[in-house]
Amino acid sequence: MRKKKIIVKDIYKSFKEKVVLNKLNLDVYESESLSIIGESGSGKSILTRCIVGLLKYDNGSISFGNLNNINNLNDKEKMDYMSKFGILFQNSALLDSLNIKENLKFASKQDSFNKILDEVGLPNSILKKYPSELSVGMQKRVGLARAILKKPEVLILDEPTTGLDPIIARQINSLIKNLVKKSKITTITVTHDMESVYEFADYVAFLKKGIIEWYGKARKINKSRNSSVINFIKGIN
Amino acid sequence: MTRLLSSALTLTKRLFKIIFSFFYSIGEIVEFFLKCVKYFITEKFYVNIFLKQFLKIGFNSLPVVGLTSIFTGMVLALQSYTGFSRFSAESAIPNVVVLSITRELAPVLAGLMVAGRSGAAIAAEIGTMKVTEQIDALKTLSTNPFNYLIIPRILAGIISLPLLVIVGDIIGVMGGYLICVNLLNFNPTVYLQNTYNFVEFIDVFSGLVKASVFGFLITFMGCYHGFNAKGGAQGVGQSTTYSVVSSSILILLMNYIITSFFFRL
Ligand SMILES: Nc1ncnc2c1ncn2[C@@H]1O[C@H](COP(=O)(O)OP(=O)(O)O)[C@@H](O)[C@H]1O
Ligand SMILES: [Mg+2]
Repeated sequence: MRKKKIIVKDIYKSFKEKVVLNKLNLDVYESESLSIIGESGSGKSILTRCIVGLLKYDNGSISFGNLNNINNLNDKEKMDYMSKFGILFQNSALLDSLNIKENLKFASKQDSFNKILDEVGLPNSILKKYPSELSVGMQKRVGLARAILKKPEVLILDEPTTGLDPIIARQINSLIKNLVKKSKITTITVTHDMESVYEFADYVAFLKKGIIEWYGKARKINKSRNSSVINFIKGIN
Repeated sequence: MTRLLSSALTLTKRLFKIIFSFFYSIGEIVEFFLKCVKYFITEKFYVNIFLKQFLKIGFNSLPVVGLTSIFTGMVLALQSYTGFSRFSAESAIPNVVVLSITRELAPVLAGLMVAGRSGAAIAAEIGTMKVTEQIDALKTLSTNPFNYLIIPRILAGIISLPLLVIVGDIIGVMGGYLICVNLLNFNPTVYLQNTYNFVEFIDVFSGLVKASVFGFLITFMGCYHGFNAKGGAQGVGQSTTYSVVSSSILILLMNYIITSFFFRL
């Protein structure tokens, strides 16, 4: 039985005249892995930023559990709300003035990070290094470690494989698959990498022109008859 | 005729837009300030970050402030000699030097130098953190960016600038002393005696008040513009420019206001 965790209802968001989200509806179900796909600039990041509370939407509502409209939360409640999410940002967003250990301490006060580093496939020696000394792929691994370390209710991955070469991308994909499938955590992945979708998505939402134009099981996306979806998949692969 | 009317209309529209955006940004600045106060009172204070910033803004600015002060003191001595020797008032040079340095030049020049040095650095650092989503990351990691990034910097500015200016005062007076004693054949003891007897508490104090206000303006503007940086490297560059220009103008404006306040006392 699927259980709704996040309900996005008629979300509207614009910047000046540019409408990014136009009465968008989307349900996110507990313990499922949802991929949001769509062209670059279609508003995928904006949508996730609205969901986690980093950005206020103009109209509509986002509900999470028994919270009805997260736009109405005050500053303090917003902080608590955001702490439910573990986020891997598009460019990792590690604090570049701090070393990796200090970065991870933001997510958990513990002293030893051996276990988590092992999980994301990084050596212990990395703790003393600074983000700028790491490759992009390693930064993503650290970002992932930081996101899951705080044991979030919902994991958000914004383009986890963009900017990586195919080999590293495949490694990251299978790493995420293991983490997601093992812990059964609710996951929202923004991507335009179909490999990610095939690897670890249960459901897929296709975002175009400010709405979810197609929604369905990841297994069935190749059989979709929606022309935009077909073009999108063809365009990538 | 209609053309004239319509162009007048667009002109008025544009004018209103400018006026509106001016008041809008004032509103934003005030809101930003109130948030700083609120979170300072209600939430965690990061002592180690404050100390780090204190070193960065205060201690690391010592060479720059020292250099500007000594040259200013030297120039001041030379220029006032040119003027005062015309009516044989050379003996007033130590007085002019110490008064100008403590009341005016040390705080203003230190303020402008630190605005260029630390204000720009703050705007660039926080701006980069903003556009690379590091600030968003902080928020989702239960860390209030106001407490973690902004308040320690502003406090460091408010406290370190007066200390810098005390050093600047001393070095500036020494600059005047060096010129008068070595070049203009003043008696060293008399020079220092004159300076010491002449300067009053209010002279130094008003300079330190200025310095504190400038320290606030520099760090506040740096933080504000950095925090509102948008759209990549270009946006960060713009925020740095805005931060230096706005804090420099505000320094000169506040300098006048504070001077006229102490003028009445
Ligand atoms: N702060 C902003 N101001 C104006 N437009 C923005 C802003 N942020 C994003 N946009 C626009 O919103 C659209 C969606 O952006 P985004 O969600 O980042 O796309 P993506 O699907 O690639 O993640 C883009 O066209 C972008 O230009
Ligand atoms: Mg994006």
